Order: sequence, then structure tokens, then C-alpha cells
Amino acid sequence: MNMPSKSYSVTDSSPERLPENRGSALNIRVRNTLLWFRQPGALLSLPALLIFVAGFIGPLGLVVIYSLMPERSFAFNQLPTLENFVTIFQEGYYISYAWSVWLALVSTLILIVICWPVAYGLSRIFRRSMILTLLLVLPLFVSENVRLFGWVLTLLNHGILDGTTRTLFGWELPDMLYNAPVTVLGMVYVYLPFMLFPMSLGISMVPDACREAAFDMGATRWQVFKEVELPLAMPGIMIGCLLSFVLVLGSISEAKILGGQSIIMISHDIETAFTYAQNWPLGSALSTLLILLTAVLVIGLLSRLNLDNLLSRK
Amino acid sequence: MSATETAYRNRKSEKAIRVWTVVILLFIYLPMVAVFIASFSKLRFFMFPVKAWSLDWYASVFNSIEIRDYLGTSLLIAGVVTVVSVVLAIAGALAFARYEWKGRSLYQKLILLPIFFPQAVLGLAILLWSSALDLSPGWQLAVFAHLVWIIPIVTLVISIQVYGFDPSVEEAAYDLGASRWQVFTEVTLPILWPGIFSGALFAFLLSWGNFPLSTFTTGAEQTVPVWLYAKMVAGYSPQVPALGSLTTLLAGLVLFGGYWLGRRKAKK
Amino acid sequence: MTESILELQNVEKYFGDFVAVERINLEVKKGEFFTIVGPSGSGKTTMIRMLVGMDKPSRGDILMSGERVNDVPANRRPTCMVFQSLALFPHKTVGENIEFPLKLRGETKNNRKTRAIQLLEQLHLTEAYYAKKVSECSGGEKQRVALARALAFDPEILFFDEPLSALDYRLRKTLEKELKDIQRQTGKTFVYITHSLEEAMVMSDRISIMRDGRIVQIGTPDEIYNKPANSFVAQFMGEVNQFNVTRQDDARFLDTDTQDTYVGPPDADLQSGVLIVRPERIQILAEGEAADTEIAGTVQNQYVLGSRVQYEVKVTKRSLLVETMIGDAWNVGESVRLGWNSDQAFLLAR
Repeated sequence: MNMPSKSYSVTDSSPERLPENRGSALNIRVRNTLLWFRQPGALLSLPALLIFVAGFIGPLGLVVIYSLMPERSFAFNQLPTLENFVTIFQEGYYISYAWSVWLALVSTLILIVICWPVAYGLSRIFRRSMILTLLLVLPLFVSENVRLFGWVLTLLNHGILDGTTRTLFGWELPDMLYNAPVTVLGMVYVYLPFMLFPMSLGISMVPDACREAAFDMGATRWQVFKEVELPLAMPGIMIGCLLSFVLVLGSISEAKILGGQSIIMISHDIETAFTYAQNWPLGSALSTLLILLTAVLVIGLLSRLNLDNLLSRK
Repeated sequence: MSATETAYRNRKSEKAIRVWTVVILLFIYLPMVAVFIASFSKLRFFMFPVKAWSLDWYASVFNSIEIRDYLGTSLLIAGVVTVVSVVLAIAGALAFARYEWKGRSLYQKLILLPIFFPQAVLGLAILLWSSALDLSPGWQLAVFAHLVWIIPIVTLVISIQVYGFDPSVEEAAYDLGASRWQVFTEVTLPILWPGIFSGALFAFLLSWGNFPLSTFTTGAEQTVPVWLYAKMVAGYSPQVPALGSLTTLLAGLVLFGGYWLGRRKAKK
Repeated sequence: MTESILELQNVEKYFGDFVAVERINLEVKKGEFFTIVGPSGSGKTTMIRMLVGMDKPSRGDILMSGERVNDVPANRRPTCMVFQSLALFPHKTVGENIEFPLKLRGETKNNRKTRAIQLLEQLHLTEAYYAKKVSECSGGEKQRVALARALAFDPEILFFDEPLSALDYRLRKTLEKELKDIQRQTGKTFVYITHSLEEAMVMSDRISIMRDGRIVQIGTPDEIYNKPANSFVAQFMGEVNQFNVTRQDDARFLDTDTQDTYVGPPDADLQSGVLIVRPERIQILAEGEAADTEIAGTVQNQYVLGSRVQYEVKVTKRSLLVETMIGDAWNVGESVRLGWNSDQAFLLAR
């Protein structure tokens, strides 16, 4: 049928053909708004949207406004200025940006490679293994501090690794903590589930029949991967990449706990500006740049996705 | 599984995937096990292999009134977040996946944005926002901050259940004489129950383990992860691994217990 | 028996600018098995949704037993529908599904169970099904459970939205007959929607055929088959041979595509139109047999349709379909003479 195929509401929600235009444009607008509110979906979305506006748009909007206030002011009703952005470039804050973006890129690439086999296994080989899924989800529910602290205990001098090699072979391992590679390790570790699950969702969208048809037509494993699996799983992979990239970009604990401040991430600068330095406008300007970068990436990807297809697995 | 599929499957690569999955599991659990081992070590500074074992640190955790307060705050926040986020996410998920309405596609994307944003920066922004609105930080602000991030996740989890739901079932109940409320309680809610249950588990556990949002919003009413962090950067205290292991165990218990309960209910 | 239970007066339904259903007038009599047939997109689903009360008509009135019910919502209409997807409640047992309408009415547990088991029996299901899960039932069993649930509601009119379309052929045939039996036993009014005219023919007292949101013809199965209102109805029954013709003289018609002439139907008063001859009405003439219209051709293809055989026969500029009983064997490539008598053809407006 040529009607919205998905679902009907129990009431008559379909916007009826309105009687011929009578009354002013304003009247029509009011009436259209009222009709919009008569849709059950629109009504049900309101509470969640309210939280979204009050807890996401509002705070981030305020940050953007603060970024235009003069240095070290605590009010947001002064004459707008761009001086904070000038400061960012003059005082070398771009170095933390460069580090953050670089580490986000490296971590995302590593995550793609190490997650693919597991994501593939999760949706194709271990299909029914709920236990495996739960084991992979569990880390999400343990504070990242605790887990990063576990790495400190593992990599410490006389820690789990060093202690093991010393007693077994008499080898003394070099210092492994407080450098850039171990920071990346921490990031890869913490954000692994954010790559793994979207990726596995993407792979589960590849129909068996397509895979079999490709084999049947003589494709090799590699060709099936390149021609069938990768393109069809792309939406999930892209979501995974975006999530990991954005979250690493704004991460803070990994560099502090494992990196021992050998690398300053942008979030650390933001935190310092807001707290120790009590320079809200500078912190806001640093955040604004982060918000802009994230917004471009996220909106760029989300606007291309059809979430109904991705989530309904039809 | 069809016969053809088995024929095309490559045994070797399947084995490699299994091995790799085990490697990843070890990678994930190695540091958690390290925390667990450290929590039983008698020494004030951690050395491996452990020479002397003790339960002293657990005793000190259990005897600390301070820690009991943090646990209480964490539980309070997680509990409130679970209830509120599940109620709002049920509505949100029906709007996300059940009804066809003008604006749905935009809503689907907007509502997900908080997931795609660094939590530490979001926490700071909420702190700034609250001070502009003259609200002081505390557990209520932490609940609010958690909701901003957790409602989208729970909405997604419940939506997946809603997608698998045949809307004509609701219509059938309505047609058989049920009122709208009866349709909701007799049909919609029971069918969505598995999704709601997992959503609630997610909400509780994510709130329980959250650090970046809590650290900027709880003010003086710290949660366990915030306290652990403060202790960690201030220098090593064996209470950290002990309490860390306890929170990990609790999360594991809730997760696996919840899964077990859910399965038992499904079997009935 | 002639009392009308359901009446539609100039019913129309729009979705935005899209006209789903246009100027529908029809009347269903009490105790009748009435079927609405149409291809997908013809507006039949929109129709049934309005009849049940899930949608409101944009214009016109729906009357039940003489009362206007446009604004009565589905849960307060004395009607009930069996859905295409059946819409059984997956979280309830078979028994709980059937008892659902009774539970809503506040019937006691014992009464509900007695009635449910009675209904199961009436639908040839044993008492053992009472405690089964819906997911443990086969397609045909689910069908029966859905019907039982609808009957438990005890509606004045029972609507069906193509519930049999997902079943295999044999099971569908069995259930079609069972449905007709149940309708006779219960004396209830059934309004059935399907895209298959064949299915409609088996069960219905009267059939209404829809196309593009309008009703094309209403009639008994016999009328639909023998006096189709236009070539759409004639084609809808199955494959037919069609000729675009104009009248040459009183009895003869000229094929405007091939310039052949045919002897027309005796009572046709149209000047031009489509001449329709059903494949089973064309004969392959044996030596010495004659017919009003005769055409020579060559057998091109042969398809066995169970007890009948269909031949595709190439004649001058086109091919014709001919059906005979199995047993008459004509080989591909063989030259044959086709013929039909004038009363076997209809002339319909284009």
C-alpha cells in the first residue's frame, strides 16, 4: 500500500487534508503545530528531548557563549571578544590539540584492526554466546580509573609483568609506564567496546545469502571480504570509528593515570582552565573548538545513516 | 545453519578468530585481575609475586564510614538514574521505533548526540551551566548529568526490542475491546519487557561505574569512582584495589545475575 | 436475512493529497459472507481499517445496523478483525490469547476457560493447546487460534485482512472451507479482504472488486465470473484472451490490431471495446467440428496445470491461450484450428 508502511497509531494520527486555506498564515502555522502535537510519536519524544535540550544543548551553548567573553570573567553578559581564541594559538594550546587528534587517529586505527576478528566472530561464529557478549560488555560497567589502575599494577616495576619475568627468567623489564605508547594502550583498552559492538552490529547486517552467493560465483575469502562484507558492514564500522575517535579525542584519565602527564590531552587543558586557573572563558574557548570538531564529524556521519535499517536488522 | 554455509566456512580462519578472541579477553581481564591480586597483598606497596596475603584492606574498606557514604551516594545516583531513564526511554523508544511521525528521523539523530561527545567535557559544561543557573553541585546534579548520557543509550537498547515488535498486536488488543491503558499494560509493556530489563541493567551499571561525569558534578557528595580517582592520584593506597575489586565484583554480579534472571523468566 | 448490518455512504479517505479510497457505497447484509477483492494498492486495507475503527473516513458515513459509527473507536465497536499477521500476543499462551476479550469484560476464570476450550474444539484443536505457547503452534494452528480469539469476542461482524495469504496452497484450501463452515454454523457476518479472486469465489456470498480506491463491481461469484463489469474484472479472475475490436456490422467485429474478424456476442450493444474470451472457452476443433469464430494456428508451448493443460497457440499476429482437460494431447509445433461460439465471448467497454 502507498501509505507509511511502518506503523499506525491507534488513534487517527495521519495529518488529514486540511480544508482550503482560510484564515491567516499564522492561523495555519498554529494549526499545523497543533496537528504535529497530535502525533503520538511526537508526544512521546518530548520528555527525552527536554533532557537533551536542558542537559546537552543548553550547557554546550553556554560554553560557546562563554568562549566569547573576556579573559577570566565569570559573567556571560559582557561584550563578545575573540581574544580567547587568539590566546589558544599564541600560547601553544594547539599542541594538546595535535596530540589529542593524533592519539585519537592512532587508537582508532589500532581498534579497527584488533576488533574486526572479534566482531566478526561475535556475529558469525559465536552467534548464540551470550556469555561471551557479557564478558565483553562488563568492562563498560567498571570505572575506567579502576581498569587503568590495573594496568599500572601490571606494568609497574615489580608489577605483574616485571615481577613474573624476574622470578621466572631473572629478566628485568625496562620502564613501561608514563609515555605515549602506554597512553595509547590505555585508550585502546578503555574504548574497545565502543568499536567492537557497533562493528559487530554492522557485520550482522551482512546477509548470509549474499556471502554465499559471492562464494558460489567463485569469490575468494579476500574478495568476499572486500566486495561484500566490508561495504555492507560499513555503517556499523563507521559508527565504531566515530565513537572511538571522538571519545579518545576528549579523553582525560588515560593520559593522567598511565601517561603520567607525559602527554597533555586537550581535555586536561580544558579542565585546568576551568578549575585551577579559574579562567572559564579560556576553558570554554578550548571546549568550543572541540565541540566544533566533534559536531562536524558526528553530524557528517549521522546524517548519512538510516538508523531504522541499522537497528531493526530487517 | 544451512549445509552450504558449513561447507564454505573456513576452519582455519575460524580457529584463528577463536584464538584472537581469547587473546582480547585476556587483554581485557589482565588488569582487572591485577587489581584483584593487589587487593589481597599485605604490603602497603604492591610487589609481584605477592609474598604475604591478607584481607586487611577489605576490612579497612568495610570499616570505613567514609567509604560507606560513597557507596550510598553511588547507589542512590544509580538507582534514581535507572528509574527515571527507563521511564523516559520507554517513551523515547516508542517515538524512536514504533510510531511514524513527522520529525522522527531528526529526533533519532539528535537524541543520540550525547553518546558521541566526550563525557569529561560534557561534565564540565554541565557544571558551568549549573553555576549559571545558580544550582549547586551534588548528587542531584550528577543524576541529571548521568541522565543526559544514559537516556540515549537506554533508548537505543529498548528501541531494538521495539523494532522487533509487530504493531498490529496492539491494534488487535484495542480492537478486542481493550482501553488504551489496557493495551499498554497487557500487551506493549510485557512484550517490551526484555528490552526494558536490559535497559535498566545498562542504566544502573553505567551510572555505577561512571567517573568523568560524576567527577565534575557531584561536588562534595562523591561517588566511589570519584573517590578512587582522588586516592589514586594522591599516591597508592591498598584500599583502592580492595574497593575497586568490590565494585567490579558487584557490577559482574548484577550483570550476570540480571542475565540469569532474564533467562529464567523467558523460559517460564 | 436481508437486513443490512453494515452500510457505507460515499466514504472517502485521503492521506495528505493521496486519495486512498474514493466514493465508496456498499451494503453488507446480516449473516452474509462478503469479500472485498483488489490488487495491492487498490485501497482495500484502508477500507477495512475504517470499517474496524482504526482509521476515520475523511468524508462519508459508515453505518452499523443503521447507526453512524464514524467516530466510534475500534475498542467500542461490536466488530473484530483477524489481522494479516494474526497479531497473536506472543507473551500469552493460546488459552490466554483466546480469553483476552473475555478477561477485558471481567468474566470469571472458570467461565473463560470453559468458553476457550469450547472454541478450541469448534476449531478442531484439542484441549492440549490451551496451555501451549503461541510460538509452539504451526501456521494453520495459529490461524485457528486467531479465529477463536475473534469468536470469543462475539462480534456482530468479523473482519478478515488476508489472514490466509502466508500459508501454503493446500492448507489455505482447507482453511477456506473451514472458514465458510464456521460462518454457516455461527450465522455471523463475515467481511473478508483478499487479493485473490479465486479465494473469494470459494467462500463468498457476494464479492466487491476494488481498483484504485474505487469499487468496480459488486456481485455474486457467479455474476463476477460470467458478467464481469469490465476487462479489469475479467482479467482479475485469471489469464484471458483480449481483442481490441470495433463493430463491423450487427454480428461481426473487426480486430483493430490484426484485422481479423470475429463473431460477436449476441447481446452486445457497444460499438467498440474489448472482446474477452476465457482460455477454457476456446476449443481446439477436431476434424469436421465447427464454431462461430475459427482461427488457425500453431501450438507454441504447453503448460500442465494439474487437471488441465494450457496451450499457447500462435495465430496470425499474436498468440492465444487455450485450456483443455488433461488427456487431449497436442504437440508443440502441431497445427490446430481454434474456435469459440459467440455466446462464449463478452464485449466490454475499454
